[in-house]
Amino acid sequence: MKYAALVPEALVVAAAVALLLGARWRLPAYRRYRTRLPAVVAVVLLIALGVELWAGAAVATYFSGGLVLDRFALFVKAAALLAALVAIGAADWAAEDSPSISLAMPLLAVFGVMVAASAGDVVVLWAGLELAGVAGVATLALRRPDLGLRLLLLGTTASALMLLGLAYVYATAGTADLGGIRQALASSAPTLPLAIPVLLVVGALALRASFTPLQLAGPAGWQASPVSNGLLAGIVAAAALVAAIKITAAVGPVSGVFASYLEVISALLMLGGGAAALGVRSPRARAGLIAACQLGWILAGLATHYRVGTASAVFLLGAFVIAATAAPAVMGTLGTAEVALTGLGSLRPHRAAAIAIALLSLAGAPPFAGFFGEFAVGAALAQSRHLELLAVGLVGSTLSLIAAIGTVRVLYLQNPIEETRRGAPLPVWTRLSAAGAVALCALIAAYSLFASPILSLADQGAEGLGLR
Amino acid sequence: MLAALAAGIHLQTVPSPTPHTIPGAGIFQSSYILSLAIWIPVAVAVVISVLPNPRGRFDTVIKQIAFFTNLGLMFILFIAYNQFSTFLPNVQYEEKIAWLPAIGAVYHLGVDGPGMVMLVLSGLIGIIAVLASQGVRERVRSYFALLLLAQACVTGAIAAHDLFVLVLFWSAATVPITLLILGWGGARREAAAWRLAAYWGAGSVALMLAVMGIYAATGGTSFDMDAVLKSPLAPRAEVIVGLGIFLAAATRLPLFPFHGWARDVYAEAPLGVVVLVASTGTRLGAYLVLRLLVAAEPDGARLLSPLMAGLAALTVIYGAAAALRTVDLRHAGAYLALVPGGVTALGLAALTPISLAGSVLGLFTGGLAAALIASAFTTISDRAQTRNLAVLSGVGPRMPKLAWLTVLAALGLLGVPLMATFTSNEMTFFGAFKTQPVGGFAVAAGLALTAVALAVVVQRVLFGAPNTDAPAVSDASLGETWYLGMLAGALLWVGIVPGGPKLPGTDQPLFDPGIANVFVADLPEIVAPYAGTSGP
Repeated sequence: MKYAALVPEALVVAAAVALLLGARWRLPAYRRYRTRLPAVVAVVLLIALGVELWAGAAVATYFSGGLVLDRFALFVKAAALLAALVAIGAADWAAEDSPSISLAMPLLAVFGVMVAASAGDVVVLWAGLELAGVAGVATLALRRPDLGLRLLLLGTTASALMLLGLAYVYATAGTADLGGIRQALASSAPTLPLAIPVLLVVGALALRASFTPLQLAGPAGWQASPVSNGLLAGIVAAAALVAAIKITAAVGPVSGVFASYLEVISALLMLGGGAAALGVRSPRARAGLIAACQLGWILAGLATHYRVGTASAVFLLGAFVIAATAAPAVMGTLGTAEVALTGLGSLRPHRAAAIAIALLSLAGAPPFAGFFGEFAVGAALAQSRHLELLAVGLVGSTLSLIAAIGTVRVLYLQNPIEETRRGAPLPVWTRLSAAGAVALCALIAAYSLFASPILSLADQGAEGLGLR
Repeated sequence: MLAALAAGIHLQTVPSPTPHTIPGAGIFQSSYILSLAIWIPVAVAVVISVLPNPRGRFDTVIKQIAFFTNLGLMFILFIAYNQFSTFLPNVQYEEKIAWLPAIGAVYHLGVDGPGMVMLVLSGLIGIIAVLASQGVRERVRSYFALLLLAQACVTGAIAAHDLFVLVLFWSAATVPITLLILGWGGARREAAAWRLAAYWGAGSVALMLAVMGIYAATGGTSFDMDAVLKSPLAPRAEVIVGLGIFLAAATRLPLFPFHGWARDVYAEAPLGVVVLVASTGTRLGAYLVLRLLVAAEPDGARLLSPLMAGLAALTVIYGAAAALRTVDLRHAGAYLALVPGGVTALGLAALTPISLAGSVLGLFTGGLAAALIASAFTTISDRAQTRNLAVLSGVGPRMPKLAWLTVLAALGLLGVPLMATFTSNEMTFFGAFKTQPVGGFAVAAGLALTAVALAVVVQRVLFGAPNTDAPAVSDASLGETWYLGMLAGALLWVGIVPGGPKLPGTDQPLFDPGIANVFVADLPEIVAPYAGTSGP
């Protein structure tokens, strides 16, 4: 029974491999049930989530400390599984180029997040992060090989910087174990030789987390397939954030060496994301930039260097990964131009509600999940006297909110237009997509409604990272 | 008469040991009366938004649902008002449930006297806003769902007794109101909506910073008003926090120079939204100053009071002068609707027991007067098919009902005797001339200028020489008469019987315990730090 907690990982990987092999060898069963694959994958994810919630509650260590299943891992894995579940359920599969790869890659990315969340040492953490990143590149390259290549290069650069930084940290601490690094650094002074590698690691993670929403992959990056876009903006960014949370917790004793840097990055993301969201018209780009603003809030929570701040950041990470992954997926091909969403509220009410709620949650609009997370981070910032960062974040969130209202207006307050003017076909209505959209709305509402137990779990997660 | 009334109010700040039993008390009891007032509109909004309405077949049903929801809410709130223990100087109808214990946020609701007055105003305005929205023809389902959500946000902000809950509802109100203007506003609705979102958003940022400042300064363990507002802050922190609260309030009330959204919103928003924003939406600003600054941070309030009095005076003078200069009737209504906010702010700035009591009453009366003047001018421009003051002339004889109601609106705005605003204005000035004589004089001068502006506009529009080239004019419909009449009637009712009607020959109250009796509950605690300043 000890290994029951690893069943979710096994299920996710098995499903991904089966999808890839089935498509490669064109198995008869695969061809027969091709249209039902999203539903099958959704069921697999649901089972994995159930097992995770049942078996993941017990704290355990595997592979000589390489994997540590604690409350942090439980929280992040559950959030990633839920994000993938609602995104796959609500996506418009007619708009995807290759359903098998578009289904397999999110599963592999989720597996990467799960590995990173359970990582006990920096090697496993790096492996999980890379797995999620590669899955993102693969799915992006399906439609836009040029962008895939660019993303690969950027990701590789980030990885190289991170590896370099981790190598220095390893040399200083004498161990790759995250807990060991924390113990070793507890007696170290925050010196410049230590500051440089930590800056490299944090910088690489911030780059990896933000290059998709901040369009560093190129202005045309938003033309990737909807699921691919959600995967990059949500799950891949979440993998980098998970790594950032674990590494900042490990090097917490010398937080002075990277504190200011993290604050600057988060301020830039919060303000830049909000301001840029006002300037774009494409709903998908807007969702990505609003997500960047919320990503800045998560980093701001980490900048507080203590448990409440990290717990709030973890709580917000859950809200972020669900909304950021699902928003582009649920928009489908309509997400490329604002005019395409015109009047969707009366044509596809489930989908419109899901888009609106996901966007408002990303923008931190009350009373949605993002608001609770940002408020909790705000309280932590106030406690740690980071009021200037809080002010910047609030301005960024206000700009994001105004941008989100702009899209909600198009969804609900404009009358539907003719198909030719819309520029993209309306998403096909299926029972799965309707259920996925409703599930997304319910999930974000439940995240707000049950904010207290979820924040409590996030707090236990922060405690599991060794924070006090 | 005024002195007797003021003395009566002063006397009632001493808790009475023998409360009167009001007929009907106990007819409806619920521990969750405030939650019902907040969440019923939200639930109905969700139901309305998912109701199938093919080709608008059920538009009328949706309007009726919204109306009867508000009627039911008013019933609940009236019972709460009726059963409010005016002799108890504490928060009533409290609900307290842990929400986010990790950061100390509690779902804590409760109202004291000023809060109860605001709730009654909110309930009344809910009905009036729905009546004023009967002309909505497009996307009826979305309109009434958003209107109910906006009302719920306002009610929630009034009833909030935890800073987290306050920020939640205060910030949330921006979203439905912006969408209402974007979806159903006039020709310049885009500018109006985005301006409102920007100003109110900036106000929310200021409030959030102030709240976080209080939270951090009081140990960072709780957002509960009972805990944090009673903890003393360092003088510097008190001023900084006070400034944040003041800025948040100034964007809502609005005070000059934070009024940039008001003209366009009052001129372009649909009528129901104008009523909602001009009354409860904006009064929340003054309520915030009362609750978080005056009642909790007396040193900060004292330091900021000259600034507040100055801005109050500028607001009243600016509103009147701009109304005189404009050639657009709806703009004139918008500018004039700024005036009651300025008077209320003066009372808060004066920081004397009588002026604060006047401001609390002004929350109710000013809200009604602002809503009445803005909506009366909007209705005239709708009925006359033009808002151009160069064209509008002498329409009074052709719209007698509207003419009467507009005259009542003008009298209400000026605060003439028998109007509820008379009592609140006079109490405000009585207190203000003691501690803020310059501000008091300037506001009084602004009110004189307001009288001139009203005289000019009303004379030209209603009683001037008829313009034969103007479009056809019709009088107010039954619905319009009702909602304008309800606003005017409420002003008259409170003006004539502020203490509520009594059984002849006794002190036994009839169905209405009287606004003047209710709003003084908990006032002694609020005015205690300023008790030595002055008295009636």
